[in-house]
Amino acid sequence: MGALTTTQTLSSIPDNWIACKDCDLLLERVETPVGDKALCPRCANPLYQPRDNSIEHTLALAITGLLLFLPANLLPVMSMDIVGQESSTTIYEGSLVLFQEGLYWTALLVFFASIVIPLCKLLLMLFISGCLYRERFSPLLPYAFRYYHYLDEWGMLEVYMLGVLVAVVKLKGMASVLPGIGLYCFIALLLVTTLMSSLLDEECFWTRIEHGLKGDPL
Amino acid sequence: MLLDQNRAWPERGSAVNHPTTARQLGLIRCHTCGKLAFDVGHDGYEEHCPRCHAHMHMRATNSLSRTWALLITAAILYVPANILPIMTVTYFGAGQPDTIMSGVILLLQVGSYPVAAVIFIASILVPVLKMVALLILLLSVQFKWVLDDRQRTRMYRAVELVGRWSMLDMFVIALLVALVNFGSIAQIVSGPGATAFGSVVVLTMLAATTFDARMIWDKEDTDG
Repeated sequence: MGALTTTQTLSSIPDNWIACKDCDLLLERVETPVGDKALCPRCANPLYQPRDNSIEHTLALAITGLLLFLPANLLPVMSMDIVGQESSTTIYEGSLVLFQEGLYWTALLVFFASIVIPLCKLLLMLFISGCLYRERFSPLLPYAFRYYHYLDEWGMLEVYMLGVLVAVVKLKGMASVLPGIGLYCFIALLLVTTLMSSLLDEECFWTRIEHGLKGDPL
Repeated sequence: MLLDQNRAWPERGSAVNHPTTARQLGLIRCHTCGKLAFDVGHDGYEEHCPRCHAHMHMRATNSLSRTWALLITAAILYVPANILPIMTVTYFGAGQPDTIMSGVILLLQVGSYPVAAVIFIASILVPVLKMVALLILLLSVQFKWVLDDRQRTRMYRAVELVGRWSMLDMFVIALLVALVNFGSIAQIVSGPGATAFGSVVVLTMLAATTFDARMIWDKEDTDG
């Protein structure tokens, strides 16, 4: 294949080298305007997307998300009325009832995807961007950001939101369904976490963590 | 020198005639944080990423066998997920168990076409297409089929992105069983199909994670 061996060519890896996640192509990093996605020329995989003030934004959004978290999960999401009898539910009750009915695995799945993982993501992000903002580089930072990365795709608030809409339509023929105060908090929480994910500049975070822990000037 | 041809990469689609991959230079890309590190040759991987301390592998360990195992398990569980009832709706004493498909048909009969379409896409179309896509990817890598690598990578990314939306039905069930609890007047009870279906979604998501998309390109890179 004619590739040069490591010892012949490289004594250290230049800082601006990156490799594509999906096709392993070696690339030289180029400056891209803030908000623009850099794509791999070979497989078109998004490589990175620089963001302005990513640390400040994600910190603010993590705090907002944590404030919204309890009301979104403990206040009623919706209520319905059948011949004078009223019933309401919260997000947390959904998995509780499944658990009582004996579907433990489904209950856990719903509980984790809609409550535990979104909460963990918010707490981890508060810790990570808080540390970076105050420039206190805890040795736990790489682990925290790694687990944030692992949990990322398992938090499913936006899918849950669609589930709420579908449930409302399904019940339409049966009874009148009213949105509860918890639903508004939940929508706000969904917007905040979605914004947090999209304003997070992963590359910038990793570079800051790496240099911060080495004690290099930023 | 080596990287010149790839410099202008914001213009996607520019010709890459002699691509150099990280592996060809003896470099490993950390799968978690993207850091490049030298492959020091402990059985193909450096122990830990210098930046995030994750285990580093040149390619995901046993990616093919693990993905096969997860995909086959998901395919087997897909049968009970569709045959067993996911929930039972009882309304003034009358009601029957609903499977995923009968739920969609019921919505069509009532005339809620958009919601029927949403559930059909999320619970039936997406899981099936996802399993077929993973099957094509696995077979094509295993038997070195000559297919468009870019298309296959795009297919892989679609599988990765869209998988989570199949959890929709799980959340609908959780909401309905908690909300509709009026004793003899109206009651919704969950069924075992939900467990099987939830497992299918999780298993296919895991299968997408264990599949290493770089295997798609490895053949081309080593052949020439």
